[in-house]
Amino acid sequence: MIADDLVIEKGTSAGDDWLTVPADRVREALSSLRAEGYTILTFLTCVDHLADASRAWPERYELVYQLRDIEAPRDLRVRAFVGGETPHIDSVHDLFPPANWDERETYDMFGIVFEGHPDLSRILMPDDWVGHPLRRDYPVGGEHVEFSEEHETWQTAPDRA
Amino acid sequence: MGVEELIASLGENVLTTTLGKVIGWGRGNSVWPAQFGLACCAMEMIHSATASVDIARFGSEAMRASPRQSDLMIVAGRVSQKMAPVLRTIYDQMPEPKWVISMGACASTGGVFNNYALLQGVDKIVPVDVYVPGCPPRPEDLLNALMILQERIKAKGLIPLP
Amino acid sequence: MTDTMGVSVTRTGQQGAFGGELLTVNFGPQHPSTHGVLRLIVDLDGEQIKRIKPVIGYLHTGIEKQMEALRWQQGVVVTDRHDYLSPPINNLAYALAVERLMGVEVPPRAQVLRVIMSELTRLSSHLVWLGTSGIELGAMSMLMYCFRERDTILNMNEEISGYRMHTSYIRPGGVLADATPRFFDLLNDFIEKMPGHIDEYEDLLTMNPIFRSRTIGIGILTAADAKVLGATGPMLRGSGVNWDLRKNMPYSGYENYDFEVAVSNDRDCYGRYLCRIKEMREAVKILRQAVDRLPDGPVNVDDRKMLPPPREELETSMEAVIHHFKLFTEGYSVPAGDVYVAVESGRGENGCYIVSDGTHKPRRVKFRAASFVNLQALERMAMDHMVADMIAIIGTADTVLGDVDR
Repeated sequence: MIADDLVIEKGTSAGDDWLTVPADRVREALSSLRAEGYTILTFLTCVDHLADASRAWPERYELVYQLRDIEAPRDLRVRAFVGGETPHIDSVHDLFPPANWDERETYDMFGIVFEGHPDLSRILMPDDWVGHPLRRDYPVGGEHVEFSEEHETWQTAPDRA
Repeated sequence: MGVEELIASLGENVLTTTLGKVIGWGRGNSVWPAQFGLACCAMEMIHSATASVDIARFGSEAMRASPRQSDLMIVAGRVSQKMAPVLRTIYDQMPEPKWVISMGACASTGGVFNNYALLQGVDKIVPVDVYVPGCPPRPEDLLNALMILQERIKAKGLIPLP
Repeated sequence: MTDTMGVSVTRTGQQGAFGGELLTVNFGPQHPSTHGVLRLIVDLDGEQIKRIKPVIGYLHTGIEKQMEALRWQQGVVVTDRHDYLSPPINNLAYALAVERLMGVEVPPRAQVLRVIMSELTRLSSHLVWLGTSGIELGAMSMLMYCFRERDTILNMNEEISGYRMHTSYIRPGGVLADATPRFFDLLNDFIEKMPGHIDEYEDLLTMNPIFRSRTIGIGILTAADAKVLGATGPMLRGSGVNWDLRKNMPYSGYENYDFEVAVSNDRDCYGRYLCRIKEMREAVKILRQAVDRLPDGPVNVDDRKMLPPPREELETSMEAVIHHFKLFTEGYSVPAGDVYVAVESGRGENGCYIVSDGTHKPRRVKFRAASFVNLQALERMAMDHMVADMIAIIGTADTVLGDVDR
């Protein structure tokens, strides 16, 4: 069982179990969950809660790890919150090999630095791209549609509308 | 006596035309596309090469893998930021005369995706001859585009290309 | 040093078996056999592969960012296009996720129609795999035969939704519209003829000595490796692991259908080929059962807060007009929360993780792409094989680059 002091919060959202762990102890938490049976990492991603009024968020970036126990079968979602100018967290690529590319993609899209990753470089955008596209303050981009107020609200996320 | 007889006897067997028309006819009826299927439109491009639609009867049977052996680049699919320099390199590697068909909405104007990741139209980096709208266009639409291009090629004849 | 594409490539400098250096070769992104714009940087010792580094991102479309700028109901159109060989299955993952957060369940007729479209799509996706794998290994007629059947399926797609490929048929709240009688005529005809066609493909390939020598023993992926690398779909089942989301974590009524999961203990390209052929046969079985048990009834959930009222109501009811107006200007809002729903596509687990902040646009939509994870297994499968085998291995992984790059 995962140690109680590692679980900050837990709950269920639309039938999915989740728990929040401290970002500086994410390796410990995921190792103990892996020992408990959750051996498969389905995906790893990040959510940017800039200007998100749905609840009080501890930090801006929420890292989400979806784990699966294939024997049971049961799923569990693990969250960790990071923030700051250059958010960083430990890499889990040696615990779960699929995290290798997922972490590169999260770095490319959000700018989260994964410490200990063997090759943290951009994977989807060109190597010399500036900026992290999936952050909420990065514009959607593309071609400007003139004479359309609709377009301004349509092409931007709600907090910039 | 001899020349008139010769002309009379050859009249049924010899066609006269202009060099431009012959060259236009030859080029137009043997347009070899370079395989440049990028995304979903590539599936419909493959359909246009299969038995029910059959682009081969228009002369485009040989979809060359190497751009150095092809005349036509069918940009089938969305062009991302990383792919754009590759596309331009492939276009530069094709020998003259060469043409480009921009197949599908994404290649023509960016399509459904008006965002940072895609070129809003492949005509930003290569000159396009025919645009085919659709998402994806039917295989018959691609054939229509090819026929339009063929008319244009035949009409060009010997005129040096721009 | 960097190459012309700006990717840093280093000569490995290691000694090969023949005493020379390893040779670094670039495959793609424009290459006939890479199933899309995949780029591989391969280190070769003679003909043997010593290292493969896939470079992806050549089809990155910004789909996840685009969906944050679109309303919930507009996003369906964009979900079609990431795994472009199975659009209805992508739609299904998104629709199920939104419905879970909204707390609605679609009527039974819609569930069966969704299963019909999913299985037709699975067949059309496997037909593309079979046709392109065949032609890459030299069996050129496979492409013609498989795409002939795929044309039939695309005609059915067009009958039911108006589009051949990107149907956007399965939407949150139900489906686009009910199927026409002509759709069922085409479908029943197809169900009768398809097993005969699958027999044709097996006649051509299964006992073919050239095909067998190019796929048996090639691309071995052990069960332990497959599980640890997160592979799903035929990549996992071809290594002997009995895991299919339709059986183990069923959705949309799949628990009510009688079908077998295609598992092979061969662990090589041939085993995966047999798995997919069996999956095609089982898909026809499921289609037959679905058509038999199709119940009558509505095809959309009866919730005016989510789906627009029928046009006739607009003439008489003020509430209908207001609902229509709100839905087509602002769109419905999904309660705050997050959910992950995974469905089984032709290549494995295709999932949709959505995060809602309570507004009419998503906060985050993440697609768990089966091909993205399966591609990471490429190096393990291709190690020490020859260059020509790499073509067979890329074919067996059945990656769709739209799925990988999104």
